[in-house]
Amino acid sequence: MKEESKENLVCGLCAITSVFAFLLVWYLGCTFTALGKLLPDPITVLIGMWGYIVGTVGKCSLLMHALHSLQRVLIGFLIGSALGISLGLLMGRYRLARAIFNPIFRVIRPIPPIAWIPISIIWFGLGETPKIFLIALAAFANTTLNAMTGAESVDKTVINAAKMLGANEFQIFTTVVIPSAVPSIFAGLQVGISCAWASVVAAEMVKASNGLGWIIQAGMDNNNMTQIISGIIMIGLGGFILTYIMRTIEGVACRWNRSGR
Amino acid sequence: MEEKVKVSVRHLTKKFGDLLVLNDCSFDVLDGDLLCVVGPTGCGKTTFLNSLVNIYDITAGEILLDGQKVNTKKQSIAYIFQGDSTMPWLTVEENVSFGLNIKKLPKQLRKERVDKYLDIVGLTKYRNYYPKQLSASMLQRVSIARAFATEPELLLMDEPYGQLDIELRFKLEDELVKLQEMTKTTVIFITHNIEEAVYLGNKIMVLTNKPTTVKKTLANNLPRPRDITSPDFIALRNEVTDLIKWW
Repeated sequence: MKEESKENLVCGLCAITSVFAFLLVWYLGCTFTALGKLLPDPITVLIGMWGYIVGTVGKCSLLMHALHSLQRVLIGFLIGSALGISLGLLMGRYRLARAIFNPIFRVIRPIPPIAWIPISIIWFGLGETPKIFLIALAAFANTTLNAMTGAESVDKTVINAAKMLGANEFQIFTTVVIPSAVPSIFAGLQVGISCAWASVVAAEMVKASNGLGWIIQAGMDNNNMTQIISGIIMIGLGGFILTYIMRTIEGVACRWNRSGR
Repeated sequence: MEEKVKVSVRHLTKKFGDLLVLNDCSFDVLDGDLLCVVGPTGCGKTTFLNSLVNIYDITAGEILLDGQKVNTKKQSIAYIFQGDSTMPWLTVEENVSFGLNIKKLPKQLRKERVDKYLDIVGLTKYRNYYPKQLSASMLQRVSIARAFATEPELLLMDEPYGQLDIELRFKLEDELVKLQEMTKTTVIFITHNIEEAVYLGNKIMVLTNKPTTVKKTLANNLPRPRDITSPDFIALRNEVTDLIKWW
């Protein structure tokens, strides 16, 4: 246990050092090379970000823009992942469902969400709906695939054991297939939330009056590099936090999947 | 007193494509029997057991449990598989309770049964552990407790101790005998280990090489606890060995 704590401490120090090293290289690059003409140094960006946090960019502060984006991501992610998990589990368990839906899914899956932007605007106009549609699509593909893989790879012996204990097909699906697929579903949700967060930027860059995508777009229109970098950093931080939360939930939901005690 | 036939198998035949695996097997298992089935390696012992309970669709024949066609949803049948069949997302207690939940038994009864069988297999203090935290023998004991907790009419066991070391095997064999004598459950136990079959069974059924048929069923009236070094034990073991020899 002591050995493990020591290892964790070393890993934590390495992580912090790498961040500071990156900032140092960035600073030195901006100060002593031509990079400074293209990119503000990290101190300028941090000061600028602080200004956007306590003040406003456009109609609201940087944190409020991040919250607008987060709201869109969560709604889209919930819709996309709920549909994806349901479809994936059905396709993984039932050959007929796979035969019906898999060909369409395989064609839709590689299409990047950005390619759907024109259609989403024609279908849903310029409000919130097309943005949520694009985010849901981004989450849908990965969660479907992973849920399907999880349901497909359930141990046949465990299914037979459940059958022998008297379980009917519905009970097998709910008490064996779904719990068994949970680790795989979470792997899909991890990728899905990252894709959803990445897609919100694309969605907001099209037509929006708030959100992190809008900040970047507005920064580009005004040639304000600090604003662009601030938006990019917030997107990175947001993705990091969402992934961390997802990992924590996974750790609780899949605590049975860890060995040792 | 006339003994009641628990399982009646008539002309059981199973083909995989053109490959005939089970050929016209007929036999009866009496209520309360611990029937050990032995046969040459690869003769189709698992196919034989799986065919009895519809895991495989049979090609021809009839299998009756208490005079009715086998139906795992209506009749209480438990199966202990060769490998680990515990549900990794459930604790030991939840695993043992699984069949009882499926059958929607009252909560109090479920708790009593779980407590009873966890105690018998010596896993009470591991009740909140997950399968990943247990050893191979403990996992097999969870499967045994789960099977017995449903108090099945018929228990099928497919080489359940095949992957365990000899000391654990002996321990679990004794536990099985104790449980079977206590509950009087009818058990069909598949094994490739002749000594195990003679140690456990009150009957030993010998299968032939593929296509498999029933070669002979021997009664085993050796007193329990059985001494594997006794002349009677060795004589019966040799008799079974001679029956299995196909070379």
